[in-house]
Amino acid sequence: MAKYYDIDDIITEEETVSVIFQKAASGVGIDPSAEMDFVEAGSKVELPFWLAHELHLRQAVSVNVPLCFNQKTRLEIQADSASVDLRSRCPFFYEFGCKMAPLVADRTIGFLLLSAFKSRYKEVLTKAHTASFEAGSKFWTILTKEEINLYETAQSAMASFKKWRIGGARFQIASILRRKRKPTE
Amino acid sequence: MYGRKGCQLLKELSSSEKGHLPQFNSDLFEQVFAECSQHHLELQSLIRKMQEEGLDVQTAKNADHHGALIHHLALVRNKRCLMAYVYNRADNVRSLLWKIGHVLPKEIEEKLSHSEEVYFKKHSARLKSYMSSLQVDLTVDMVPPKDPYIKIRVLDDIGEGIVLSDDKTANFARHSIHFLKRTDAEQFISRGLMEELTG
Amino acid sequence: MAGQSDSELSLFSAEELEFTAEDELVEIVPNLKMPPLNLISGDFGPFTPQIVTKVPLWLAVALKKRGKCSICPPQWMSLEKLTQVLEAERDSQEMSEQLPFHYVEISRLLFEHARDNIPDVYMVRSLIEDIRDVRFHKVETDLEAFSGRTIAVKIKNLSAMEVNIVRPFIGRALQAFYKHDSPELIPDPERVSDSRPQVVNNAPRRQLRR
Repeated sequence: MAKYYDIDDIITEEETVSVIFQKAASGVGIDPSAEMDFVEAGSKVELPFWLAHELHLRQAVSVNVPLCFNQKTRLEIQADSASVDLRSRCPFFYEFGCKMAPLVADRTIGFLLLSAFKSRYKEVLTKAHTASFEAGSKFWTILTKEEINLYETAQSAMASFKKWRIGGARFQIASILRRKRKPTE
Repeated sequence: MYGRKGCQLLKELSSSEKGHLPQFNSDLFEQVFAECSQHHLELQSLIRKMQEEGLDVQTAKNADHHGALIHHLALVRNKRCLMAYVYNRADNVRSLLWKIGHVLPKEIEEKLSHSEEVYFKKHSARLKSYMSSLQVDLTVDMVPPKDPYIKIRVLDDIGEGIVLSDDKTANFARHSIHFLKRTDAEQFISRGLMEELTG
Repeated sequence: MAGQSDSELSLFSAEELEFTAEDELVEIVPNLKMPPLNLISGDFGPFTPQIVTKVPLWLAVALKKRGKCSICPPQWMSLEKLTQVLEAERDSQEMSEQLPFHYVEISRLLFEHARDNIPDVYMVRSLIEDIRDVRFHKVETDLEAFSGRTIAVKIKNLSAMEVNIVRPFIGRALQAFYKHDSPELIPDPERVSDSRPQVVNNAPRRQLRR
């Protein structure tokens, strides 16, 4: 319940998971292939995680490992973790992984997350406090939201230090009223 | 898919530029609300159907039960989205008081829903009464103080006869330069009506 | 914490650290006559022209701004001392303890308000910049060594500003490592062997008895 109001957590739980219904369900329009509002047992449906998770707890569905944790992604991460585009696979790759791992009873997902984070962390670290690059650069586009948050944390700490060192006006217009943000800030 | 609109509402909040408040999306908010009512109706009708068939709603795990379960879960999910939307915005609305002050510029006020406006005003009144009982103004000196007086330039016509804390009045014509008490100038600066001059 | 610093990201803003540093004492040479000041933080003065006295940095700066004193730069802000510190920093992976906790803030304040009182001000300034760069690079090297097993970081002699810059990053990074290395996600190899103690422990023991 601690994360009930957490926006990122809610968005993470919107990721789709492919499930197979073990039980039939009537009166629901969630299977696009069905003609009626009825899901037959055995039908394969893409559901958001929040629904799949609860139905799984009640043994109404079985859950498949999502694409972003499949063998192909794993091989790519092993080969060159720093340049794999994780964001397009899943913007909350790590959080989603943590949520999925117990559901599919696949403990290797944990190893995958840790090893991916470990090697990509170095990349984030070396760029975080020094280089400031445009939001469009390639490195930026492949980071997950978690990695971006980490990176931005470091960047803004460094930026506010530099601003202080240069000096100038101590009182400024509230940032919420500033019309256009300078890209360096 | 169920719950998609609720999540869209939150994605809108999270993708807005850091420190900025997007417009309250009452249209989408109402749609999610309507979705909740729809789930509620369908949930009820499924349960009624089970009762008419003489089944125990608690134990019978037939297709109707699972249908009702899915509607229930979707309802709970939508509720969470709506709550999170309101909660996170309320957080933001309270912070406006510290960042801008007790008077909100029009461009910000437009972004709030009616109840958010009321919420802000009540919050502001509460804080004012708390501060007067303490006899301390908590909204000044947001940056550690240096000199008691600073030099400022007026950026916008603020008006004439503004009463300052030393009970003197001042006329702040646009582009005029003044030497003001730091605590008097602070709120004008954070509202973008004055700028601090250094050096 | 103050409303304008982003509480989520950093505990203190640079301005707030500077404010704390302003309590550090410095020596000034006043050019006015004034009785002692009895402040909450202590008694300062009396102020007599040409007689050195110690005051908090904020007071020194306020007097200096009004042309009422000159500030004696602290001993560590000399060319010789800083050259020596820079060498020490370059020679070792450890952080040297020769500079005060608030060296970044103090030097910045003095450069802004008392440049004319600092001998070789340009050299001194660039030396301090170099020292800060070397030290910061060392911190980054330390951070590279993070892994899932890191539960805390200990870096000796980090200064106030340096620790403030990296604190938010370290906090988040450690949290992430901790989360992804949690035993719920990853089976602990030791625990796995614990679950089969009979097999693992008995096998060699039986061999000893034979």
